[in-house]
Amino acid sequence: MWRRRSILWWLFAVNIALGAAGTLPAIRQLDRSLGHSVAGQQLYKGFDVGMFHELVRVPDVGLLRFRITSYAFAALFALFMLVVSGGILESYRQDRKLDSGEFFAASGAFFWRFVQLTVFSLVPFGLIWATYFDVEKASDYLGDKAMADQVGSGLWLFGVILLVLITLFVRLWFDIAKVCTVAQDTHLMLRSAWQGFDFTRRQIRVLLWVYVRISLVAWTAMLVAFLIWTKLPATAIWATLALLELIVLVQLGARLCQLASVTTWYKRHQPLLARDSAATQPQEVTEPAPQLTLYSEADPLPPDD
Amino acid sequence: MRVRVPTLLLSLVIIELCSALAAAQPPFAPKVSGPLSQRVVAYQIDAKYDPAQHTVDATETLTYHNLTGHPLDRFPFHLYLNAFQPKSTWMHEAHRDGNFRSSAFESWDPKEYGSNEVTSFEVVGMGDLTRQMKFISPDDGNADDKTVLEVQLPRPVPPGQDATFKIKFRAKFPEVVARTGYKRTFLLAGQWFPKVGVWWNGAWNCHQFHAMTEFFADFGTYDVKITLPKDYVIGATGVTTGDHDNSNGTKTVAFHAEDVHDFAWTADPNFKVIENQFDGSVGTVKVRLLSYRSHKNFWQRYLDALKGSMQRFDQWYGPYPYAQITVVDPPHGAEEAGGMEYPTFITAGTDWYTPRGDHDPELVTVHEFGHQYWYGMVATNEFENGWLDEGINSYAEVKVVDSMYGRNASSLNLLGAQEGDASVLRGYYLPVAETDSLARPSYADMSTHSYGGVTYGKTATMLVSLEALVDEQTLQNALHTYFLKYRFTHPTQEDFLQTVNEVAGRDLNWYWNQAVYGTQVFDYAVLRADSTPTLWYEDDATEKAGETTYETQVILQRKGDFVFPVEVEIKFDNGESTRERWDGKERWVRYVYYKAAKVQSVELDPEHRITMDRNYLNNSYTTNRQTGAIHKIAIYWMLLTQFLAHALSWLV
Repeated sequence: MWRRRSILWWLFAVNIALGAAGTLPAIRQLDRSLGHSVAGQQLYKGFDVGMFHELVRVPDVGLLRFRITSYAFAALFALFMLVVSGGILESYRQDRKLDSGEFFAASGAFFWRFVQLTVFSLVPFGLIWATYFDVEKASDYLGDKAMADQVGSGLWLFGVILLVLITLFVRLWFDIAKVCTVAQDTHLMLRSAWQGFDFTRRQIRVLLWVYVRISLVAWTAMLVAFLIWTKLPATAIWATLALLELIVLVQLGARLCQLASVTTWYKRHQPLLARDSAATQPQEVTEPAPQLTLYSEADPLPPDD
Repeated sequence: MRVRVPTLLLSLVIIELCSALAAAQPPFAPKVSGPLSQRVVAYQIDAKYDPAQHTVDATETLTYHNLTGHPLDRFPFHLYLNAFQPKSTWMHEAHRDGNFRSSAFESWDPKEYGSNEVTSFEVVGMGDLTRQMKFISPDDGNADDKTVLEVQLPRPVPPGQDATFKIKFRAKFPEVVARTGYKRTFLLAGQWFPKVGVWWNGAWNCHQFHAMTEFFADFGTYDVKITLPKDYVIGATGVTTGDHDNSNGTKTVAFHAEDVHDFAWTADPNFKVIENQFDGSVGTVKVRLLSYRSHKNFWQRYLDALKGSMQRFDQWYGPYPYAQITVVDPPHGAEEAGGMEYPTFITAGTDWYTPRGDHDPELVTVHEFGHQYWYGMVATNEFENGWLDEGINSYAEVKVVDSMYGRNASSLNLLGAQEGDASVLRGYYLPVAETDSLARPSYADMSTHSYGGVTYGKTATMLVSLEALVDEQTLQNALHTYFLKYRFTHPTQEDFLQTVNEVAGRDLNWYWNQAVYGTQVFDYAVLRADSTPTLWYEDDATEKAGETTYETQVILQRKGDFVFPVEVEIKFDNGESTRERWDGKERWVRYVYYKAAKVQSVELDPEHRITMDRNYLNNSYTTNRQTGAIHKIAIYWMLLTQFLAHALSWLV
């Protein structure tokens, strides 16, 4: 992932741009309400919840109605990621920097296929979402019967952790499906989905651990950033901005790390199925491929199909 | 050694007597002796609690002293638990408004069924009157509402005479709802016995139980014995006067209270008892906290909040005269029993994960203790004037917690986010500002939402705002006077308002007419503030700082219909500032200044005391752009958008 870090910077830039665009209407309203008022001092020098509530409550301001714009730009970013996924995976698969034409050609080539895979993935994700409500109901019910408060919360937490692991499994499954699609240049999406499931199922311990490890690193970094944030003065706006953007960068980087990891894993363990041929070998090697640090050398090869 | 039987018997009697004396505590603090009130009622209740059925079978002997000056041949009784039935007025209102406390009442759950069933009603000297009992609905004519029972006596009780009622009843508790009921092994028994109405202002005052009201009763004495399983820990109003085991695996615990107007109790085998004490101006008061091991982190928080309140109330308003205060921390799932007051007995409440910076557990403790004064001793009619106890108490709560945690952080102080209690109460009030007046009888309020916002929020907000006029110390003195004058009586809202007028030394009726009797809304704004050179018409006019003379005009507007004098501070860019006081009677006012300086800022109510103002955002104007808050909110808003974007993209 780090070798192809230009992808990360581009994604980060688009994420910032769309985030800023989604924020603009709210900023304009804030400027109208607070631009010439001392009321904002209670929000700047500390954070008075009552004053923020004023911005939400007063009909002329009604700050929260602008969240629709944020939702829209967030969705736009998700669509953007769907579009460029093909280019990203092709870049990782070939382990070289693609020029713009190659990148967007690959993105376009795989876009509709990835849309299909996304639609397929909605089924397991939807089931997980529905299961969450059952977890909540069950933990409420059992917690209600228990004497100690923490029983219900503990059960809920346990259930949520399980669901998070299952969600990671589903994410991994469809990431591998995408990798298979790119590697084999196949148009058979059901086959790709099945292959993704099969590979993930057979190598679940190794692959899931990769994803879990990357997620843990990202969330730990976020926790550290949060602890630093608690120590910053209330008026340290630009330091806060830098810290918060670092959090976003780490999260985006973690996601790309996951994609890069499964691509590399696939290349290592499925050489017969990789589309890599002499014709598509890179023209020059600018640096030797570094040892991958994400896997143990003792990782077993998958059994023959 | 052989002991002679008579000596042995005498020894046993002496030992028993000593135990009884040791167990019996006086009902008042050391320097207090009763009676403190006109004791109209004397209740003696013998109750047996069945935890498996969630019922109490009891015999109640009520001695009513007719101090009304009228012969009385009709007596109404409250049977509050009958409210927890599908066709009751209470349930109808709760369902109509879509909520009561934390319950939604969208559908009927049989576990919420409760009842007070009177099986026998006798008046000493007049015989068995069970068949003369009938339910009445004086407020809304709902024939299915059984929260008021009336009995017609065959002959009146003359003034100055007593009537003794012997009532057998069964109380069936709902799964905890609206302050009372059971949860697992826990029980909070509130409003559980037939309670006679109050003769007030020449007539019986005995309203049906409404979702928008609480309670009203006369002062008197209570002697209550409760028999329950031996392993249960019990707490109640008053003090323990006896505790003995029975042969059938139960125990009987006796309680005694004087000069109170209600009796509640709680029981759970899982209670942990934490004892402490408070040293007040009338001696040591015993503190008894009933909580759970899973809430161990909150025991000290409760005690600190309670004793902080006790100290301030003692100092500001008057002494707490009783020997003991019991605090109950309901278990999880029983939150509906929390946040409630009974004489010498309060319920608080918390979630196990509530961090220190969230002062909710402290706020509820302070609030419920405050009710010992406003409601417990100053026993106003909660059916008709809910604001006199809930509202005045909410104001007192603000004063106490502001004093303990700071004005801007008394409700919340967590990870840089702060909020003051006065701000929270203002937030309750403003959404319902145009619904009900404080003077409207509480049971007739528009909804439970309006009742809560107006009774708690508006009262506290209007009293905090009043400090801008009469100052905080004067208002504290007024409450002190009101407490000392009206404790152990049933004052009216006019009594309170008149007391404030007297202590403040001025006629504040123009304020009460708007804040108490009206629904006027307070909103003042800075409409305009600008400076233009006086010689603007000259061709070669150039502005030079410190030399050019400017005409500055400041226009203030009263956007709402609440008229109140407001202060405004005007600052100029040469460092000068001036304050004006506007009476607010006209719709707007213009101030004009001629200075070699431009206006820099204008701010209404610079000390931020008038919390009644419905919109703080238009209370000021600055010529320079203020960007700090805008940038700050913008970056957090942007982060949330970016994070949401990333989260959605992770799914695709």
